[in-house]
Amino acid sequence: MSALAQARLAEERKQWRKDHPFGFYAKPIKSADGTLNMMQWEVGIPGKEATNWAGGIYKVNMAFPDDFPSKPPKCKFDPPLFHPNVYPSGTICLSILDEEKQWKPSITIKQIVLGIQDLLDNANISDPAQIDAYQLYKNDRPAYDRRIKAQAIERRPK
Amino acid sequence: MTRLGHTQALLGPELFKQVRETPVLVVGAGGIGCELLKNLVLVGFANIEIIDLDTIDLSNLNRQFLFRKPDISKSKALVAAATARHFNPSSGIHIHARHGNVKESSNDLEWIKGFGLVMNALDNMDARRHVNRLCQAAGVPLIESGTAGYLGQVSPMMRDQTECFDCVPKQAPKSFPVCTIRSTPSEPIHCIVWAKSYLFGKLFGEDDEAVDTEELDKAQAEGENAEEIENLKKEAAAFREVRQALGEENGPARVFSKVFNADINRLLAMEDMWKVPGRVKPKPLEVDAIMDGSFVPPPLRTASKETNGQANGKKEETANGNQAVLKDQRELSLKENLELFVDSCRRLSARAIAHPDIVLSFDKDDDDTLDFVLATANLRATAYGIPNRTRFQVKEMAGNIIPAIATTNAIIAGLIVMQSINLLQKKYGAIRLPHLKADPTKPLSKQERTNPDPKCPVCRDVYVLFKTDVTRCTLGEFAQGAVREWLASSLNEDDFEFTILEGGRILADPDFEDNYEKTLAELGIERGKMLTILDEDEKYRPIHFCICEPAVNATTSFTLPDKCPQIPLRPVAPAPPQGSPSPEPEIIEALPLSVTSTISTKRGRADDGDVSLGSDALKKRKVDVEANGTVDGEDDDDIIVLE
Repeated sequence: MSALAQARLAEERKQWRKDHPFGFYAKPIKSADGTLNMMQWEVGIPGKEATNWAGGIYKVNMAFPDDFPSKPPKCKFDPPLFHPNVYPSGTICLSILDEEKQWKPSITIKQIVLGIQDLLDNANISDPAQIDAYQLYKNDRPAYDRRIKAQAIERRPK
Repeated sequence: MTRLGHTQALLGPELFKQVRETPVLVVGAGGIGCELLKNLVLVGFANIEIIDLDTIDLSNLNRQFLFRKPDISKSKALVAAATARHFNPSSGIHIHARHGNVKESSNDLEWIKGFGLVMNALDNMDARRHVNRLCQAAGVPLIESGTAGYLGQVSPMMRDQTECFDCVPKQAPKSFPVCTIRSTPSEPIHCIVWAKSYLFGKLFGEDDEAVDTEELDKAQAEGENAEEIENLKKEAAAFREVRQALGEENGPARVFSKVFNADINRLLAMEDMWKVPGRVKPKPLEVDAIMDGSFVPPPLRTASKETNGQANGKKEETANGNQAVLKDQRELSLKENLELFVDSCRRLSARAIAHPDIVLSFDKDDDDTLDFVLATANLRATAYGIPNRTRFQVKEMAGNIIPAIATTNAIIAGLIVMQSINLLQKKYGAIRLPHLKADPTKPLSKQERTNPDPKCPVCRDVYVLFKTDVTRCTLGEFAQGAVREWLASSLNEDDFEFTILEGGRILADPDFEDNYEKTLAELGIERGKMLTILDEDEKYRPIHFCICEPAVNATTSFTLPDKCPQIPLRPVAPAPPQGSPSPEPEIIEALPLSVTSTISTKRGRADDGDVSLGSDALKKRKVDVEANGTVDGEDDDDIIVLE
């Protein structure tokens, strides 16, 4: 891992420890040897109030590549999410997470998690990543909304 | 005059003595390394260590001239030393050759301090960074070098005097967004990456289905949406099925139908995806129609920009002509690609069945795997109306082959020795960064020396020699003895709060002290690693404690230098990484595509290293950095990046 990635992730961790948006969590995963792995973070993203996503906390695994921050982290809902822009594997398709689009080395973890939260209720239908959510969204919005609400209930923190 | 008399006369007695006595290290015995070792021996350097972890390959012999055919599969470093030793028989030179990794733990701070000069002749970014950091930590001069085709560069580096390797951000190797690879390819390289990094793994790679099923079952048990899980299971099962069926008579045909017909139909069902301007709908392929010649492939898209220098995209005119063409440079017909797909699937699945314990992986020199990637990429390209590629081109693109030219390596190795003279004499003002360009009227030019970047995360940090018995010293002892008592007291900081890092791991921070009782060894910390201290208030530069062997007769669990070095302050106020209250990025529009597939996760096989940044690009980049404070890799047109 590069010195830059180390410095930057340590910085991100510290900033998050000091201050983070309400209802979110983000922490490096603890390894078997008791240390925290800065390359793998576990993140919890709450659905926005007054949307169908409210009440749920959606867990995302963030994997930082060795050449972070030149490259964005890979973000994956775990378990996968019913959402038109989420691959069946859980991988999130989002412009700020795309090196060729809006990723910039200056984007912080906080900005990423807020961006993902925003994506939940703002699906981009021209770039679907899974067929089920896409078709339901397009063909039967009320059914889609019910499904999302049910999902929010399933993903309530226990 | 004796053999060395000329050199002595030329260099003068003082410099000549330095050349004879200074211990020098050459890292890498490949394309540049061979040329460099020859030069060093002929100039009269007499105390040389050379290290390389690689063994000799047939494809090296055209330019790595210290090796001959019988040397194949022997250690590069050992053979290079044995051959070069005789070039200057009367000179009493000593070459210590090591077949090993420069990153191994015995190559620690004390080891690197034993050299008066280090020369890199490497082929990958990771090792370059490692050696750069060691040299910066030890204050040993380093000459970095690289070539790619006709291009090459030499960069002498010395702590506090010049930029270090990490002062200038490097363009990361190109990778492609998931969605482009999986759903909407538009260039040949996208199809090649899909074949090599996605389908190959699904069919022949590690069988992760068991894990998959387990995960999905667990998710279901935890109350996940049952229907959704069912769907995912179906998808996983579909692949498992074709995978198992591969060995059967019609297995390859079934795979073909799934990936080139059913999966494409599934993508076509997502109609909005194809409404985005610039996207072209693929056409599902049909085995029978292809075999009887009735299949009409979709028209080739016209606007496809030719590959970004990944390969010479020029289609050979001879490819469809009647002139004799090398087998690998002939473009295959659709039917031939289909047959090759079926045949290579058979060959690979036979291998997988015969040796279930060996996980197959793509290797450009493994014909079965290359044939599979060639056929798969071309079939996918055909379905998407993308131009096909020849076997030769696919090998170059999939194998990340960087052309290597012996003459370039020889010139660069010569320039390294010229610069080494400046470093030996400590004439830092005379340092130049020479580079070779593909310009026949003026192939050689130079850049002036540049000062270190005050924000560099490598050469502006502080490094401390920390001799310790890792099996005895606990993290708590380190935190107390080395950080609070030794470091913090010399800084006059009473309440010094800090984070302890090692590589990508956090060992402790103010909210996390669970590991204090553990010994360093229990935490996986050994000789050669660094414990990094970041202070909570971000007042000071990071401090790295470099783990070395315990001192002889040590009575305490660690030994530190008598005096704590001056710890420089950070240059700017503790800025959050992106600078102050920056607006949230304009995210809202969710465009799909995140990033995973890189062309290669393996190290590039071009033996001779890479030019990390073309010098012009380097200048341009610096301007960008100054102007915006960030670098975003838009302008990669003239940058050769490799790895």
